[in-house]
Amino acid sequence: MSDAPKPPPKAPAPVAYKAPELRPETLPERAFVPELLRGLAVSTSHFLRNLLFSRDPSPDVLHRRGPNLVSTVQYPEEVAPYPPGYRGMHRLVPRPDGNPRCVACYMCATICPAQCIYIEAGEYPQDPIEKFPRRFEIDELRCIVCGLCVEACPKDAIRMDTGTHCKPTYDRPTIVYGIDRLLKGPAVSHRTDVWFKREGSDPPADGHGHPIPPLPGEGKS
Amino acid sequence: MARLFRMLLLGVLIVLGLCAWAWLGYLAVNWLGGVTLGWGWGATLGQAVAAIVFIQLLFVMIVATLLTLAERKWSAAMQDRIGPNRARLPGLGRFSLGGIPHVLADALKMISKEDFLPSQSNRVLYHLAPVLNFAPIFCLFAIVPMGPPVPIRHGFAVLVATLQIANPDVGLLYVFAIASLAVYGVSLAGWASGNKLALLGGVRASSQMIAYEVALGLGLVGMMMTAGTLRLDQMVQTQSQGLFGLSWLPAWGIFVQPLGFLLFFAAAFAETKRTPFDLPEGESEIIGYFVEYSGMKFGMFMIAEFVEIVTLAAIVTAVFLGGWHLSPAIDGGLASFAAVLVRWRFGFAEPTGVLLTLAVMQTAIFAVKVLVLCWLQLAIRWTFPRFRYDQIQYLGWRILLPLGLANVFATGVCLLLDPSLSLLGAVGLAEIGVGIAALLWSGAKSTQPAPAPAHVGSH
Ligand code: SF4
Ligand code: SF4
Repeated sequence: MSDAPKPPPKAPAPVAYKAPELRPETLPERAFVPELLRGLAVSTSHFLRNLLFSRDPSPDVLHRRGPNLVSTVQYPEEVAPYPPGYRGMHRLVPRPDGNPRCVACYMCATICPAQCIYIEAGEYPQDPIEKFPRRFEIDELRCIVCGLCVEACPKDAIRMDTGTHCKPTYDRPTIVYGIDRLLKGPAVSHRTDVWFKREGSDPPADGHGHPIPPLPGEGKS
Repeated sequence: MARLFRMLLLGVLIVLGLCAWAWLGYLAVNWLGGVTLGWGWGATLGQAVAAIVFIQLLFVMIVATLLTLAERKWSAAMQDRIGPNRARLPGLGRFSLGGIPHVLADALKMISKEDFLPSQSNRVLYHLAPVLNFAPIFCLFAIVPMGPPVPIRHGFAVLVATLQIANPDVGLLYVFAIASLAVYGVSLAGWASGNKLALLGGVRASSQMIAYEVALGLGLVGMMMTAGTLRLDQMVQTQSQGLFGLSWLPAWGIFVQPLGFLLFFAAAFAETKRTPFDLPEGESEIIGYFVEYSGMKFGMFMIAEFVEIVTLAAIVTAVFLGGWHLSPAIDGGLASFAAVLVRWRFGFAEPTGVLLTLAVMQTAIFAVKVLVLCWLQLAIRWTFPRFRYDQIQYLGWRILLPLGLANVFATGVCLLLDPSLSLLGAVGLAEIGVGIAALLWSGAKSTQPAPAPAHVGSH
C-alpha cells in the first residue's frame, strides 16, 4: 500500500480575481470632516475653473486646452470628429453607367443578423441571366452596422465607406432607405465584371476612367 | 479672459443691484411706516408690511427661484458640464442668458401640469400638506435682520427704519418653534398620499428632523450665551467688535464658536433634507414623501426647500458670520466712504444720509454673505454622498448631541473665567487651528500610495 503512487500535490486553484487589500483608514479619514473638506475643495476648484474661464469650443474634446474643464460638445452646433477608422453608413455601389452593381442575389439579406435588408429582384429583359434589384431597402433603425452584408456580397455591390452616420429624423418611414438614397458615391468596376465580356463592350476601366490592363495569363483567344 | 471679465462685471452688477434694492427697501419701510403712523395704526405695521414685500417677496423668493436654476448650473460647473442652456427667449438668437429662461419654462410646466389626486389619498390632508410644509419655512425669515436700524426723521417723529420684519425678544426660539412645525407638512404629505414609499419618506423625515432638532438648538446655545441675548440684531451687534482688541479680526460667531457653527450647520442641513441628509427624498431608493405630488403642489415642496436654503444661510450669516459687519477696521472705512459719497452728492455730510448710505452698503454685504452661503450649501449637496440611515441617527444622537453639550459646557466655563470673549476667541481659534492641522495631515496621509497587493500564488 505504501508504494502506491501518491496523488500529485494539488496546485493552488487559480484565483480569478484578487481584491486589492484596502489601506487601513487613517485617523483623519475616520474623523470624516477633514475628508469632507478636501472633497469640497475639489468641487470648488472645478467650479471656479469652469465659472471664470471660457470653454475651449474645439469639438475634439481630448484636445481641449486651458483651465476650463468642461467636456461638453454642443451637438448641433459643434460636431465631434469621427475617429480615423470610422467607416460609416452603407452605400450601394454604382456601375459606371449609374445602375447598382447589385445582382439581387439575396446574400446580404440572408446574412444580415438584424434582418433589415429587403430586396425585390427584377430581370433585364434583354439579358435573361443577370438580375437587378427592383427594390433594395435597408431599415437603418434596425441595422446594427455590423458590416456582414459587405463581407457577404459577391459583387462588391454594397460598401461601408461613406464616413457618415444615418441622419436623425422625426418620422420612422423616412429612415428606411431605398435605392434612391443608398446608391451614391464613386462607381466601381472590376475586370471580371460580366458586362466587359460581352460582344462590343468597352474595355474595363476603373472608377476614374483609366483602363484596367489584362492579367498576364489572361489571353484573348 | 473675456469670461473672467464678464463674471467680474456680473458680480459688480449684482452688488450694485443689491444696493439699489436695499436703498428702495429702506425708503419703502420708512414711507409706509409713516403712512400707517398717520392713520393712527402705529409705525410698526407699515414697516413690517414694507419689509415683508422687500425681504420676503423681492429677496427670498427671487433668490430661491434663481437657486432652482443655480442648482443645475452650478452643479454642472462642479461636474465639468454646461448645464441647461436650451430654453431661449424669442428674438435673442443663440444667447441663453445663463439659463434664466429655464426658470420661466419650469414655472409654465408646473402650472400647466395635471394636478393629480391619487385614489387612496386623504383628500384634505393631501391638499393641505404642501401649504403646511411651505408656510412655516416661509415664516422663518421674519426675524432675520438684513440691515442695521436707521433712525429717519418723519415729520415730528423719528422712525427707526430697519430691514427686519419682526424683532421679538424670543428671537431664536421663534426659529426653533417654527422650524419644527415644518415636519408636519412633510409627514402629512407622506401619510396622506396613500403610498407606502411616500409614507416611508414621511416617517424618515420626521425621525430625522426630531433627531437633529436637539443638535440644532445646542449648536446655537453657545452663541446665545456668548451674546447674552436671543435677539438676532443684538447678536449681530456683539459680533461687530474686534477680537482681542484687534481691529482686523472680528469677533464673529464662527471664530468664537467654531464647534457651535459646525453643529448648527450640520443640523440645519439635516433639517433642509438635502444631500447628504436627503434620506426622506432618496431618489435612488424611495422617491420620498412627495412621490404622489405633481404640478404646482410638487413645486411648493421644491421651492420650500430652496427658501429653506436661503433662510438657513441668512440665520447663519446673522449668528455666525457677523451679519452686516466685516471687521471693525473695514466697517470704519465703509462709514467714511459713505460720508464721502454723501458729501459729494449733497455738499455736506448730512447725518441721516450717511447712516442710510452705510446701512445700504451693509445690507448689500449681508446679502452677499447669504449668497455665498447658499453657494456653499449647493457645493456640499453636490459633493457629499448620502448617509446611510443608521449613520444619520448615529451622527445625530451620538456625535452631534454630546459635542453640543460639551460645547455649551466649555463656553460656559470660558465666559465665567473671562466675560470679554478673549478666552473664548482663543479657544475657538485653537479649535480652528486643530481642524486645519487635521486637514493638512489628512491631505499628506491620503496622498501616500496604498500598499502593493501581495502576489498571488508566490511562495
Ligand atoms: S450592417 Fe449588418 S445589420 Fe446592417 S444591413 Fe448589413 S448585415 Fe444587416
Ligand atoms: S449580396 Fe450584394 S449583390 Fe447580393 S443582393 Fe446584396 S448587395 Fe446585391
